[in-house]
Amino acid sequence: MRNHPYNGKNKSAGSNRGNHNVTPFQIKDCALIMRTTDILPALNLREFRAGIAACPVESLYHHFCETVIRPSFDDPEFHNDFARWARRGLHDHILAERLEILDPYAFADMEELRRVVLELIDDRLSEVSLIPWTSEQGPFHFLQATTVVFDTGKSFRNPEEMRDAVAEMTTSSIYYHFWEARRRTPEHRDDLSAWLSQWNKRGEKIIKTILEIDFYFLNLKELQNRLIRAMAVPARG
Amino acid sequence: MIRSLKEYSPIVGPAILNQLEQLALHLKGKKVVHVNSTRTGGGVAEILAWMVPFMRELGIEVSWEIIFGNESFFNVTKMFHNGLQGNPVNLLPRHTDAYEAVNIENAERLRPLLSEADFVFIHDPQPAAILKYTPSRKGRWIWRCHIDASRPHRKVWKYLRPFLENFDASIFSMSEFSQALPHPQCLITPSIDPLSEKNMDLSKRDIESACEKFGLDVNRPILCQISRFDRFKDPLGVIHAYKIVKKFAPVQLVMAGGGADDDPEGMEVLREVQEAAADDPDCHILLLPSDAHRTINALQRAADIIIQKSTREGFGLTVTEGLWKGKPVLGGNVGGIRLQVMNHHTGFLVNSPEGVAQRVRYLLQHREILNAMGDTGREFVRENFLLTRHLREYLTLMVGLQLGFGHRLDVTA
Repeated sequence: MRNHPYNGKNKSAGSNRGNHNVTPFQIKDCALIMRTTDILPALNLREFRAGIAACPVESLYHHFCETVIRPSFDDPEFHNDFARWARRGLHDHILAERLEILDPYAFADMEELRRVVLELIDDRLSEVSLIPWTSEQGPFHFLQATTVVFDTGKSFRNPEEMRDAVAEMTTSSIYYHFWEARRRTPEHRDDLSAWLSQWNKRGEKIIKTILEIDFYFLNLKELQNRLIRAMAVPARG
Repeated sequence: MIRSLKEYSPIVGPAILNQLEQLALHLKGKKVVHVNSTRTGGGVAEILAWMVPFMRELGIEVSWEIIFGNESFFNVTKMFHNGLQGNPVNLLPRHTDAYEAVNIENAERLRPLLSEADFVFIHDPQPAAILKYTPSRKGRWIWRCHIDASRPHRKVWKYLRPFLENFDASIFSMSEFSQALPHPQCLITPSIDPLSEKNMDLSKRDIESACEKFGLDVNRPILCQISRFDRFKDPLGVIHAYKIVKKFAPVQLVMAGGGADDDPEGMEVLREVQEAAADDPDCHILLLPSDAHRTINALQRAADIIIQKSTREGFGLTVTEGLWKGKPVLGGNVGGIRLQVMNHHTGFLVNSPEGVAQRVRYLLQHREILNAMGDTGREFVRENFLLTRHLREYLTLMVGLQLGFGHRLDVTA
């Protein structure tokens, strides 16, 4: 489980107070506009490294975190574009494995992630005798995206209503409240468990189950189903 | 046939339609103009035929304008089309004069509408110079390139680029197709219409009728490639693959396409394909009229496996169509096919006729895997490549252009 300040522990656990004042959860949704960057496409590992060193932070975020929401296949083997291209473009299985295990949400910020990725590539460059080049797969294109966030006009008022509401959400809404929230909020926490924490005991068990989900290895449909299952936990202790 | 967005609710779910409505709230009353070169025929006209009424349904004031040109203009724009796709062309001053003259005429004719529009979408190179001749522009102008411009002929690109530089944004179908331009280049993949004649559900009877009509035995496996008779679709490679499989399984092959009659090279390829298939009653080469959408739909649905063994491909909407019909696709390892065919999940990427044959034999012996791939492919298309997603991205782009691109634009306030 990722180390984060809530981790299932609620300071006021044991109390049911305050839930009458909880603001309803406003369900939002989002859509991406994908764009190219000014970084030249990479044809080999050296160019790949140079591109990663120079690309905007948004590009790193896109290739690690937005892969689940853009119109593409949710590849169960690779969860970030860098690992996927290392394997399928450069045919470098070792580098692909090292990149694939990186969990972007385990880093303080994207610059820290960039530093680690560059370190991994430098290690790999020192190990190989020939610089890997891409073949028929083509070059790596550095992309970025803008997330447009909008209201759905829907909300839920208490933990009991939450399950049905989550079941009716779009996958992009799940993305916004679960993945994107970790970047957006100061606590790096998903919106659902953050809101549940205001319900003290009524939310505690659900929060615990939600926080146990290793979401980075799930696609959004799978995550939605896990969340629905988590919310099947009786809200009242 | 004009449909309502509500008709898509059983397919994509009400939440997706709500998404469109919510996004469109931020564009209510905006004036949008699409400009292209034809109202019928071709992929762009097909897209605009649904997109324009759907945008109107969402409360946006949309008009669809076409440019009028003479024969020499369309000959030049055909040259541009070929040139953008990488074919060398001999561009002469008389060609560029004809191009610019028609764009000036159309810019003058459309000026009141275009000057007042909040968003102008210029589709492909034919009307691209209109921007230059519309000096008092109020709104945002977007160049939508539907062509694979990844390796344009330099002379054509050098000529067109100055007309494109002043757009506020451009849209390409894939990052691989884009070119460096001094404005945001957005990526919007194409889509299919699940309710169109080509993709709508058909009854078992409809499918069997099509099989009867073309002498196909529904009790034996059917392989199907739908495409123009074009060397880049490798039709001879497909026949080669079929002949390998035929030694092991009682398969039938259908290769169907249209539009070859006005394409001299297409006719030549068709003859070669017919010769290669000549002695085999199970090898069906069908030249279909361009509006035989329902027939194509039935043939794809009758097939056990869809093949798209291209050696060069744009996005590959025939792959999308095949996946939507719940069929595994064996696709050439090129272009947009790579975005859609995932080995062991939605089909297999193949690099040779032998590769096709091997995967066909494997799938025919593993029906449960074949069916599971079909299910995965259909859901993959439902999530990613239906027209509702395509429309959502246009709306998102317009909202983004209104507010300026950043990492996150929150319009909930």
